[in-house]
Amino acid sequence: MKDNLPDKDGFFGEYGGKFVPETLMYALNELEQTYKTLKDNNDFNAEFHKDLAEFVGRPSPLYFAKRLTEHYNTASIWLKREDLNHTGAHKINNTVGQILLAKYMGKKRIIAETGAGQHGVATATVAARLGLDCHIYMGSEDVRRQSLNVYRMKLLGAEVHEVNSGSATLKDALNEALRDWVTNIEDTYYIIGSVTGPHPYPMIVRDFNAVVGYELIDQSQESFGRMPDSIIACVGGGSNAMGIFYPFIKMDNVELIGVEAAGKGIETGEHAAPLNDGTPGVLHGAKSYLMQDESGQVKGTASISAGLDYPGVGPEHSWLKDIKRAKYVAVSDDEVMKAFHMVNKMEGILPALETAHAFAYLDELMPKMNEDQHIVINVSGRGDKDLNSVVEIEDIKL
Amino acid sequence: MKRIEKKLKELSQDNQKAFVGYIVAGDPDLKTSLELMHLSVDSGVDILEIGVPFTDPIAEGPTIQQAHDRSLENQTNLQKIVDLVGKFREKDSNTPIILMGYINNFLIYKDLINRSHDLGVDGVLVVDIPGELSLEDYGIDNQDLDVISLVSPTTSKDRVKEIVKNSTGFIYYVTLRGVTGSSNLDGNEIEQNIKYIKSISSIPVMAGFGIKNSDDAKLLSSFSDGIVIGSSIVELIYKNSENKDFHEVSDYISTMKNAIR
Repeated sequence: MKDNLPDKDGFFGEYGGKFVPETLMYALNELEQTYKTLKDNNDFNAEFHKDLAEFVGRPSPLYFAKRLTEHYNTASIWLKREDLNHTGAHKINNTVGQILLAKYMGKKRIIAETGAGQHGVATATVAARLGLDCHIYMGSEDVRRQSLNVYRMKLLGAEVHEVNSGSATLKDALNEALRDWVTNIEDTYYIIGSVTGPHPYPMIVRDFNAVVGYELIDQSQESFGRMPDSIIACVGGGSNAMGIFYPFIKMDNVELIGVEAAGKGIETGEHAAPLNDGTPGVLHGAKSYLMQDESGQVKGTASISAGLDYPGVGPEHSWLKDIKRAKYVAVSDDEVMKAFHMVNKMEGILPALETAHAFAYLDELMPKMNEDQHIVINVSGRGDKDLNSVVEIEDIKL
Repeated sequence: MKRIEKKLKELSQDNQKAFVGYIVAGDPDLKTSLELMHLSVDSGVDILEIGVPFTDPIAEGPTIQQAHDRSLENQTNLQKIVDLVGKFREKDSNTPIILMGYINNFLIYKDLINRSHDLGVDGVLVVDIPGELSLEDYGIDNQDLDVISLVSPTTSKDRVKEIVKNSTGFIYYVTLRGVTGSSNLDGNEIEQNIKYIKSISSIPVMAGFGIKNSDDAKLLSSFSDGIVIGSSIVELIYKNSENKDFHEVSDYISTMKNAIR
């Protein structure tokens, strides 16, 4: 199997590419050249790994979930604790890497889009550290449901731009960030937050998050003497999943499972699961599975989780789906809330609603496993930011 | 001779610059779009650029984005837009028509696009296919259809050469770093870049993005083969769509046409 993807034009099979207005080509080519030069540069890598160790707090632990394991009573369940990273999610791995690219390129202004706000916080954090001007685009619907993260970004000195166009969620924030970039192309670095967007972003974001998967190889060996049987991660754009899957793609006996947001149920059409119920199309500069209607218009999405509420998905996931190397399933909002409570009560861990999607698949997966097996869940982020939403969903008076 | 080539040749023989006018099909509705197409031509537009609405038009500023949204509320799609062109052709067989939009819609309707020349369409401008890529690779392949490409202030000289090679009809020179409807035109830079394109190719060059008034139009037409105006026309259409009295639109177009004479 090819593991040197994307190809020189940025394609994973038929997916990916650079479908952007002409003005952006210059910036994408500049970024691609810079990354090509730096990715094998010792100084660059030393600086990246020093930041990951000292600022992010890596490696994140691989933790044995004893009570969850006893509850299902089949395979051992291990948790890759990305929720323990500085700023509370895997998103910081990518921003620490990309801000270094921005620094090497001499860019003074940073922009980013955010859905749940985790990527916005992670971007504002690294921009603050370097004293760079930072602008975050966020859909007004997400600003409402993730108000705590909005305040965190402001504390970090970022300007948060509320986006009211379209569905006022992540996809529209991305549109607006791209428009900002077209306008301020020469001095601005755009830190895309997922393995989406035009080439070289899906590759760069994957590579910076792949530290999660590489750590897991060593930690699995230390903890249970071999590679896991299954790795489970939630998929919105798919950066946490791509990061933990990537080093395992060549290991055919490791099952890779991505969990999408089925929202109110795949059959209702109100969901955010393009790999389960979408068709190939082009959005935000890349070809990938997409939720679209018969005229090629992008459909609205529905998910309890702002971070997964996105009609597209990273092109490499589309490729992994088509070649059947990874399996993509979907769980509903109701199943997610059940799993959210279960993880809190049984493991003392408050997962993000995005992350709770991965846990919600255990009900289906675990009865098929046996006691000698080991599965790993990528705990992509912590759920403090979601408490307002949960309180609202469950109609709780605080 | 293809319709775009013929029109541009005629204008140049008369020592005139071309006026490319943009409207969004289906805003406020398709029936009115047909009237607006004829009205634009009667007021001075030489080439019609018909916007194909998309939910996520990343190159558009707020004015054209909102026009796309309004059009999509009417369920406008490419089939209906090609039908609209057919109706326009019943009365006008001279004015070239270009469909401008985003690749996702064109991919869904690629068979229709490949037949669209017979139905009256002269060219396509796919905003998010960079010029050195070929639409043929995506199944859009009809030699009769002109493929208009964008060149921007940030396009490197090497890439301009590639883009010019793959383009027919004309080059659309994007006059600024920004989305449609922005305003920070840099006359000197635009002149230099258009001169460069002209030094390597004989393909006509139209300048657009950010042209608001007759001074902009006059300046840009002095070193290009013509101008493209979108946001200002779309704004005036929106402003008057309730009472459907579009004399402001035709006045604006005539003023611009006069400015580039």
